[in-house]
Amino acid sequence: MDNFLASAISFGVIFLFGCVGEILTEKSGHLNLGIPGIMCVGAAGGCFGVRIAMSGSDPSGVLVVITGILFALLFAGALGAVYAFLTVSLRSNQNVTGLACTIFGAGFTSFFINSVVMQNGADSLLAKAGQQFFGAHIPGAGDLGWFGTIFLSHGVRVYLAIVIAVVAAVVLRYTKVGLNLRAIGESPATADAVGINVTGYKYTFIVGGAAIAGLGGLCYVMGYMNGVVGSTVDQTIQGIGWLSIALVIFTLWKPALAILGSIVFGMLYILSSRITGISFVQIQLLNLVPYVVTILVLIVTSIVGHRETQPPASLGLSYFREDR
Amino acid sequence: MERVKQPLIHISKRAPMPLWKGLCIRFGAVVIALVISAVFISLSSPREKGFFDFFGSLFSGAFGTERRFWLLLQDTALLLCVALALVVAFRMRFWNLGGNGQVLMGCLACAMCMHYMGGKLPDGLVCFFMIVASIAAGALWAVIPAIFKAFFNTNESLFTLMMNYVAMYLVALFITLWNPMGTGAMAPISDANLPTFGSGIAGKTLPIVLVAVIVTAFIYCYLRFSKHGYEVSLVGESKNTARYAGINVKKVIIRTLVLSGAVCGLVGLLLVGSINHMVSTTMDDNMGFTGIMVAWMGKFDPLIMVGISFFINFLSRGMSQVCTEFGFTSEALSDIVVGLIYFFFIGCEFFIVYKVHFNFRKRGGWEEPDFTMDDGEDEPGNTPDGGMADAAKDACADRPDLPADADGGQTEGGNIDG
Repeated sequence: MDNFLASAISFGVIFLFGCVGEILTEKSGHLNLGIPGIMCVGAAGGCFGVRIAMSGSDPSGVLVVITGILFALLFAGALGAVYAFLTVSLRSNQNVTGLACTIFGAGFTSFFINSVVMQNGADSLLAKAGQQFFGAHIPGAGDLGWFGTIFLSHGVRVYLAIVIAVVAAVVLRYTKVGLNLRAIGESPATADAVGINVTGYKYTFIVGGAAIAGLGGLCYVMGYMNGVVGSTVDQTIQGIGWLSIALVIFTLWKPALAILGSIVFGMLYILSSRITGISFVQIQLLNLVPYVVTILVLIVTSIVGHRETQPPASLGLSYFREDR
Repeated sequence: MERVKQPLIHISKRAPMPLWKGLCIRFGAVVIALVISAVFISLSSPREKGFFDFFGSLFSGAFGTERRFWLLLQDTALLLCVALALVVAFRMRFWNLGGNGQVLMGCLACAMCMHYMGGKLPDGLVCFFMIVASIAAGALWAVIPAIFKAFFNTNESLFTLMMNYVAMYLVALFITLWNPMGTGAMAPISDANLPTFGSGIAGKTLPIVLVAVIVTAFIYCYLRFSKHGYEVSLVGESKNTARYAGINVKKVIIRTLVLSGAVCGLVGLLLVGSINHMVSTTMDDNMGFTGIMVAWMGKFDPLIMVGISFFINFLSRGMSQVCTEFGFTSEALSDIVVGLIYFFFIGCEFFIVYKVHFNFRKRGGWEEPDFTMDDGEDEPGNTPDGGMADAAKDACADRPDLPADADGGQTEGGNIDG
């Protein structure tokens, strides 16, 4: 049970990165359906960075982790910037642009990982980095019983995810920046009239959100999979990405709730591989559970329909100052 | 006179542009995306291949042999049907992102009929059940989100997205149910296949093309000439207006999505009943998403969508040939090129709808800012605008530090303009 919870947290942070990134994007009034592709690209960039950092004779663990994270941020941020440019500056349809990002990102990742990163024995290097550096946890965590196993046995990525989620929650709720951002998401015209730099905020939070989501992809490959990169990794991350977007609704656009929600999703996602003694058919049934739960939550929140649980009012609409 | 600081770039809406100019801008965007892909691919190819070989391979992959041409037609027909199914919902501003799931459910229902009834009942009867079951399954998968949208205003895009995965795992479930010890792949079923015209590839493809032609004609007339089509557009424009006009909005939403899902189910029927004779979890080939791009790029017009879906399939079939001839092992290169085309196509819409004015400080003083609306006739700046769009997007596609580059690209274009 302890191990199950620990795995759930370890998997859940992948959702958490994606979810917090998407919340920040949606708070600026942009529904980024490109998150699955952006997470893929983050994984590709992260693997590339780790590959570079591991190529020396005696790579330092801290350096490898930092390079991986930086490259994941950079690659994912770049695709996020393409999305931001198309939807903010060129005012394109957000759904269509997002889907294009997902198609492009998944294709790019599959090509980049298989043809560029995984050459000349990179798989053993990545596996070594995944196990030794990304999996490194506080020494002696296993001796502290259930508490150590569940909360302290994780690599740095888990704590990074939680810190980012908490910071995002505080910024959104208690700072002027967060207030401005929420104002833009509700009514960009009003925010513009107050003198808030709408375009600047939108760019910052779309690119920033995409970069955070990209860490989720890195987290899946180097963290949960311990650096084992399968050839269909883009398909798996894409599935996780769609669930992260669903998690945004599940957690009612609140990053703090997202910490809990992502652990629940992590449990549901790994459930089928952790329960022993069931048939293949039952495994397939368990695989359905996270998606069915998401649908149920969608239905329940829409029926209850509190004002606090609704998406930002201008979500999905392009803002053109002269349209008023 | 006091000088007011003018922003460098000023954007205003254009007057509606003549059709041929819009087409030129779109065509230019696609050409530039293709040229970028060609340069990139021919430079990074492990083999000695030049820039123009890219286009040669592209065409030979799509049209090189009779077989390839028929496959291209078949894929076009299928993609077109999915896109047409989606466009009905999009006209109503219902974001049906569940095309994949609806197609898969059609596949599954068809395969179930073949598996459970094939060989036991006469083939004709089984075919009848297959048709009914596939269409019903597709419709069911679309109507569930529609009901909740109609009654509780549940977010339909996420609902339909999740339904994709439910459908995918249901297919996986039935495959494991039918081969409990198997590898997850299913053997083709030889009973109860849909009729073909003769045995060759042409005879197999023609019925599918015929179905696509009928569906296109039907959807075109449905949206254009029928009362239902008018109601769909009205609900899309404004639900309140529709309600005021006495339209039962809930009924329209549900009825439209039944049609949308049914056409997707029909595609599933064709995929299983007449092409593959088995079902797999990836059989939808992501057509639900590609169909959205086709519908949007075709401006939600069924006739333009015919051309777009042909073009997209031309690209993806051609690209697989390019991958082979240029020595790339990964077929994913095709997705990159198609994705690039999408970005350019999406981006160039901006230059059709909006006009960009630049306010430069000339030597000696301020230039009077040009705030006049451009009528699009006497201004030679239209084509440079298109070129500038591409310069800016070029920068954004290649480099990560996008905003700065985009501005740089725009300034350059403006200099040429001025």
